[in-house]
Amino acid sequence: MKKENLREFAEGILNSYTQIFFARDPVLAIALIAVSFLSFFSGLSGLLAVIFTLGAGLLFGLDKKAIYNGLYGFNSLLVGLGLGLYFAPTPGYFLILLLSSVLTLFIAVSLQGVIGKYGLPFLSVPFIIGVWIILLATRQFENLGISEKGIFRLNELYNIGGSWLVNVYETIHRWQFSSTLKLYFMSLGAIVFQPNVLAGFLIAVGLLFYSRIAFTLSLIGFYTAYLFYLLLGINLAETSYSYIGFNYILTAIALGGYFLVPSRWTYLWILLLTPLVAILTVSTESVFNIFRLPVYALPFNLIVLLFLYVLKFRTSENLRLREVYIQQFVPERNLYAFQNNLMRFDFRFTFPFRLPFWGKWTVSQGHDGEHTHKDEWKHAWDFEIRDEEGKTFKGTGDLPEDYYCYGKDVTATGDGVVEEVVSDIEDNRIGDVNLVHNWGNTVVIRHGDYLYSKLSHLRKDSVTVKKGQHVSAGEVVGKAGNSGRSPYPHLHFQFQPAPFIGSKTLYYPFSHYLRFKGAVPEFETYAVPQKDDVVSNIDPNPLLKKALHLIPGQKLHFSVNGTASENKVVFIAETDTLNQTWLVNRATGSRALFVSDDTQFYFTYYEGKKTDILYYLFLGLYRVPKGYYQDLEIRDTIPLHQVLRPRQRILQDLVSPFILFNRVEYTLSYIEIDNPALTNRIVIGSRINQKRFGRQYERYVFSIIFEFGTIQQIKVNSPRENLLLTCIG
Amino acid sequence: MEKKPFERPLIKRLNAGMPSKFGMHTHIEALTEIDGLKVEDLVAEHGSPLYVLSERILRKTYRDAYNVFSTRYPRVQFAWSYKTNYLDAVCNVFHQEGAWAEVVSGFEYEKAVRNGVPGSRIIFNGPDKQEEDLKLAIQNGSLIHIDHFDELYLLLELAEKGTGKPKVAIRINMDTGIYPQWDRFGFNYENGEAWEALNRILLSEKMELVGLHTHIGTYILTADAYRIAASKLAILATGIERKYGKVIRYIDIGGGFASKNTLKGAYIPGTDAAPSFEEYADAVSSALIKSDIKPENLPLLVLETGRALVDDAGFLLGTVLANKRLADGRRATIADIGVNLLFTSFWYQHEVLPAQEVSQHTEDTTLYGPLCMNIDVIRDAIDFPLLKKGDHIVIKRIGAYNMTQWLQFITYRPRVVMIDESGKVHVIREREDLEHLIRLERIPAHLKSDDARKK
Repeated sequence: MKKENLREFAEGILNSYTQIFFARDPVLAIALIAVSFLSFFSGLSGLLAVIFTLGAGLLFGLDKKAIYNGLYGFNSLLVGLGLGLYFAPTPGYFLILLLSSVLTLFIAVSLQGVIGKYGLPFLSVPFIIGVWIILLATRQFENLGISEKGIFRLNELYNIGGSWLVNVYETIHRWQFSSTLKLYFMSLGAIVFQPNVLAGFLIAVGLLFYSRIAFTLSLIGFYTAYLFYLLLGINLAETSYSYIGFNYILTAIALGGYFLVPSRWTYLWILLLTPLVAILTVSTESVFNIFRLPVYALPFNLIVLLFLYVLKFRTSENLRLREVYIQQFVPERNLYAFQNNLMRFDFRFTFPFRLPFWGKWTVSQGHDGEHTHKDEWKHAWDFEIRDEEGKTFKGTGDLPEDYYCYGKDVTATGDGVVEEVVSDIEDNRIGDVNLVHNWGNTVVIRHGDYLYSKLSHLRKDSVTVKKGQHVSAGEVVGKAGNSGRSPYPHLHFQFQPAPFIGSKTLYYPFSHYLRFKGAVPEFETYAVPQKDDVVSNIDPNPLLKKALHLIPGQKLHFSVNGTASENKVVFIAETDTLNQTWLVNRATGSRALFVSDDTQFYFTYYEGKKTDILYYLFLGLYRVPKGYYQDLEIRDTIPLHQVLRPRQRILQDLVSPFILFNRVEYTLSYIEIDNPALTNRIVIGSRINQKRFGRQYERYVFSIIFEFGTIQQIKVNSPRENLLLTCIG
Repeated sequence: MEKKPFERPLIKRLNAGMPSKFGMHTHIEALTEIDGLKVEDLVAEHGSPLYVLSERILRKTYRDAYNVFSTRYPRVQFAWSYKTNYLDAVCNVFHQEGAWAEVVSGFEYEKAVRNGVPGSRIIFNGPDKQEEDLKLAIQNGSLIHIDHFDELYLLLELAEKGTGKPKVAIRINMDTGIYPQWDRFGFNYENGEAWEALNRILLSEKMELVGLHTHIGTYILTADAYRIAASKLAILATGIERKYGKVIRYIDIGGGFASKNTLKGAYIPGTDAAPSFEEYADAVSSALIKSDIKPENLPLLVLETGRALVDDAGFLLGTVLANKRLADGRRATIADIGVNLLFTSFWYQHEVLPAQEVSQHTEDTTLYGPLCMNIDVIRDAIDFPLLKKGDHIVIKRIGAYNMTQWLQFITYRPRVVMIDESGKVHVIREREDLEHLIRLERIPAHLKSDDARKK
């Protein structure tokens, strides 16, 4: 086994432990492993089960990524931990352990196949089925000695850690805290079959390190259940279900913060669902007691699966309960990334559309317009060109030719196929309208299923495309004219769900464009131009376009001169089958995912250390529109966890589902250009500021020079470090 | 009631021809105000004659022209042709609006640099570029438009000497179907000289070829010539890309768009004969867009329009000095504006307007300047109202060339003022005086006036 593979395998083992809490976190993993070894043989048996499963999975050729994420291992781990408590270490037992690990793996994979289709996780169902099968079967196996472990706990602890560990155990148990908190710790410990306070305490610490939200949720889940029992007149501490408390904890973490984006609404749902879990615990127990089988985490599994499945049947977008689509394995990250993406992108509108013309045009009638954009046709625009004085024509305006927009090229708004062309309708005299062919000369372009765009009132015989022809964004399709219901020349533009001329309109925004107030542009993303807005497309500057067009395989070499370091770094642009693109620092393994389209370059995600040089590239070039506009200021927000270190946001994490008092803002401004039309050198400046309770703190300042067709120099100023990156090829 | 102005009596032969349906209208509208300021007041304050430039019209003309092109073509850049009018104030208005500088001599180059134009935004044109000028241009990263092979060799030599890598374009002349064909500037397209020059530049690798330039002529009355010129340059650009993998960054289509002035001997007035700006823009942009140049490599379109941007903003104000009758009975009016101040009167029939209200009566008049020269004729024959001594006249559309080609002759050159957008008048060039004129003169010792008297 190569070193690389060995590391991955070790990670797979750790992940199998933390996967119990849906996490990938080394601190939590160490806590869990330590706890499992409080009962040595149980711990060993669990570890072996993980190794067996990972090994079997690899030999079998299952998905490596899933294996190393601990997706299969954690169920076997639980089986191993459980069996280790029941049986004595005999050779026969190890064979049983091996077999049960493989069986659990098979169940897990099969379940993945069956319910994975519905977008559901298999949770710890494989463990429950696996351990039941083994338990039922082993009752017949006389040779497997039943273990005495768990009965003489102190003896066992003494064997592992001597009198020191016994003392710790005793001290913690003697602590004068409420019986409920004790019970909470015991429930936590019970997750790895160690229902004692020491184990629970260690896990709680690990959980707190891993995620403040998960920790809070575990408390909320547990105490909700406790209060519910109290309401029914039962003291949880005195009942036989006590150890089963982990069901509430796991449900709370799963639904409150992991599968759903944590919010006050998920917290509220936890309050409702926990009593249900409690009821289910009692009812399932009464069934399975007949077979003398413990229900373990069955109630948790049932409720979570039920809830997630029902969520899938919602027909409308609901911001309150949002499923996590891109799992980042920490509730905080899911939350910050989600909130940030909500601000940066609009996922409902993925097709990139540009304005259908060149230069600055003015919206003369917007959505819900006063003239014709009403009812089913309300999501449409009329565009025209106005001069300095706001006039749309020169001279007397008696002829279509007098109008500035008349005869100007109109372009395809996005890539697509020409669906319909009308080109033979006469242009009207000024003031006249053609109500028979009211759309006039028209081009309809198909961009996707139920997504068409239509350009109308074009000049007679000006259409240069044919039906069925492919057009790309920005390609000329005709000229603005005055045909159809058009008393004066203008361009009518709309998105529509059907290919027909006269179809109703569809609400769809333009992805990026500039809106001018005087000469000062504003950057708009996923927006709808309003009446009287002066708008234009972003005109990419060839230098920025070239420098930020990173071809997969391209290497960026930088020399680094800083207060703390001096060396060279190489970043490589890479891509994958999903067409994601990223820059990677091979030396450290850090990655920064980016998107580079026609009009802008932006990063979406960074993974790696916050001291890596690549991290500065990620922050400094977080979003760069490829046009140069002197007075334009670009603002964007960065997910908190990508900038703030965990210790800097403990308080924020705790209350994050309810309130965000921190904000990390990115600001870009264009500093200098040697020649806007024929550019050789551009300087841009960007800043990362943290806003806390309305007060602003400057964290990073970047000055970036583009020259010789590349990113020539990046100057980084932060309180911690001053760096100068210079391109060396 | 205001007293009606006196007009001298007039006897006019009755022409019993066929009146058109509009009758025999001859009334000439007076131009009494420029940008809201009375001509009378301007002359009273600044003297006569007087050049007046309207900043409002300058900016509006520029923006209109820019919009005409930028709504048709994605990337457009104007370069202000210094020789058309290099008064600093005028240049700076255009630079503020975003125009580069287009210069054709070391002097103009210095002036552009002095006006704060960065080197990379200066186009250096023309057949006369001195070695020192070129060195400076190379160091500043200016765009040098090569006119002939001798210049190309000189540049190569300079590049080899390590002055720096010149950024160059070549000027190309070609047959665009018009007469006369300007073939004295640049390299010819049809006979292959253009390609020869390009090959030398690209094979030498000592220079960076950034653009292609043509200037097909001046006062071109057909937009189609520009279509042909743009297409031919586009063919060269695609050829260069195919052969050398070199993408041409800009195409400079020059200037020469006809202004609304009427040429001498023209049958119809310039306002009717000249194509509109839109037609020129349509021709150029559609030729480039339809060419084989890849959309992502579509070059910057540079325009060196001079006349069309500045002509309308210039007014020349003058005063009637005398009226007289010529030998053949025609009337003549003498004004204080001579051909030395209105160089363009050699080829334009300038529109001359009275600056005060006049009656509908006009007389066939010859308009003379004040110079003691027979050639000093502003208009040979103009239907002109009956002005008397001391009345003011305004000559429209004189912003181009007159303030650069003017002559100091017989008398001083007058003031030039600019009316800013708020209606404030700024003197942008003082009236010349004796001090100014003799500053450069040197008198040999033996001709000093004291000595001369002694003899």
